[in-house]
Amino acid sequence: MKTLIAVGVIALIIIFLVAQYNRLIRLNISVNEAWSQIEVQLKRRADLIPNLVESVKGYAAHEKTTFEAVVAARAKATTASTVADVAAADGMLTQALRGLLAVAEAYPDLKASTNFLSLQDELSTTENKVAFSRQFYNENVRSLNSAVKTIPTNLFAGLAKVSEREFYEVEDPQDRKAPKVTF
Amino acid sequence: MDFRSQQAANKRKTIALLVGMAILVWLLAYAALTYFGRSTVGIIPIAVGIALISVWGSFYGADKLVITMTGARIIQESDNPKLFNLIQEITIASGLPMPKVAIVVDDAPNAFATGRNPEHALIAFTTGILEVMDRDQLQGVIAHEMAHVANRDTLVSAVAATTAGAIAILSDILTRMMWFGGGRDRNRDSNGNPVALVFSLLILILAPLAAMLLRSAISRKRESLADATAVAFTRNPAGLRSALEVLERDSTVVRQKSNSIAHIWIESPLDAKSASKLFSTHPPIAERIAVLKAMEQLS
Repeated sequence: MKTLIAVGVIALIIIFLVAQYNRLIRLNISVNEAWSQIEVQLKRRADLIPNLVESVKGYAAHEKTTFEAVVAARAKATTASTVADVAAADGMLTQALRGLLAVAEAYPDLKASTNFLSLQDELSTTENKVAFSRQFYNENVRSLNSAVKTIPTNLFAGLAKVSEREFYEVEDPQDRKAPKVTF
Repeated sequence: MDFRSQQAANKRKTIALLVGMAILVWLLAYAALTYFGRSTVGIIPIAVGIALISVWGSFYGADKLVITMTGARIIQESDNPKLFNLIQEITIASGLPMPKVAIVVDDAPNAFATGRNPEHALIAFTTGILEVMDRDQLQGVIAHEMAHVANRDTLVSAVAATTAGAIAILSDILTRMMWFGGGRDRNRDSNGNPVALVFSLLILILAPLAAMLLRSAISRKRESLADATAVAFTRNPAGLRSALEVLERDSTVVRQKSNSIAHIWIESPLDAKSASKLFSTHPPIAERIAVLKAMEQLS
């Protein structure tokens, strides 16, 4: 009987240890997945930009500085790799796009064109998707970081080779305000 | 309260209510044994078994069953790309897989979610809700439905329905036994303590009612939880709040008024006046709006 109890207790301890280790690994994988989701959405937005710029150019060819800002921000966004760099480039591009849409406001013909309207709609949902993927990433980083810092999971962080991750912070406080489109 | 403490509080209350259900089953079993004696022991597993089979069959096929009960029609992305865009936004915000999407042809604005797990989730909208709501409002509604998926509310309500069902069957069998020949058994086996007998009788009569009350209370807690989780997804309490205000102003109700699936809609399809607050599956809509408004003031 005594040996049975001892075996049971040891088995429980082992299960507990394995669970802690697996939890850390799982949280780390979730952060990676959330990160790749951000990249997918940023890529989607980058792919939209050439079309959008072209359609605005057709009506407002002389607004050169605005186009240049968008193109430069897009180039930067597609080459960035670390979390901080991607976030900074993302913020810049969001700003530049807002400038572009503000320009479009001044041209009623452009605003009325179906091509532009569908692009604008596509852009607004993409902006939302970018924002939500950031938020989801940050939620995952939040859980991972608190697990890495709190008992008992923190005791296994070294063993699982999991460490705190960086939050995705965009400087622009208005970054959640995507252009408003009514249904 | 912010959405995180709202979520935690609602989860705690669900657990407390489910524990209440379990206690009720025990009380009923105790009452059966006191009133009728040991020979009734076998009835308890039979009642639980019947309830298990009847509820879990429908739980497993929840998505298909609800489609036939509501007349919903599954649509593809090409049918309504804007709606799909909105749903994709919420799947990104929540990390859930893309659900099946369905439309119910009905002018009353309403929506529901079902499915035994996130991989088999289905969310449905009436044609009315797609017409009257703007982008932010619809996003709030979608987030509320996806919150039901994330919180596994089909599972929670199946557990609640099983326990409530078992209690109903058990007390039904026992009350029948009381009229037909249960008395003989009582004289032989039980201790005959009159207080215990009266107490048991009360339990037998009141248990099904208590079970229904608990079940409705669980459903209401899950609605509040879904509102809080929806805000966790969108971080925009104003969208869901104004969607609920639209639903509050609207007086049309979904045509099918089946009691058995009333709990799955975002707004109760049953006439609010006919059901008292204790039995209703949804918290009063004004209360939900007030909670969301409080969250708006925080951000």
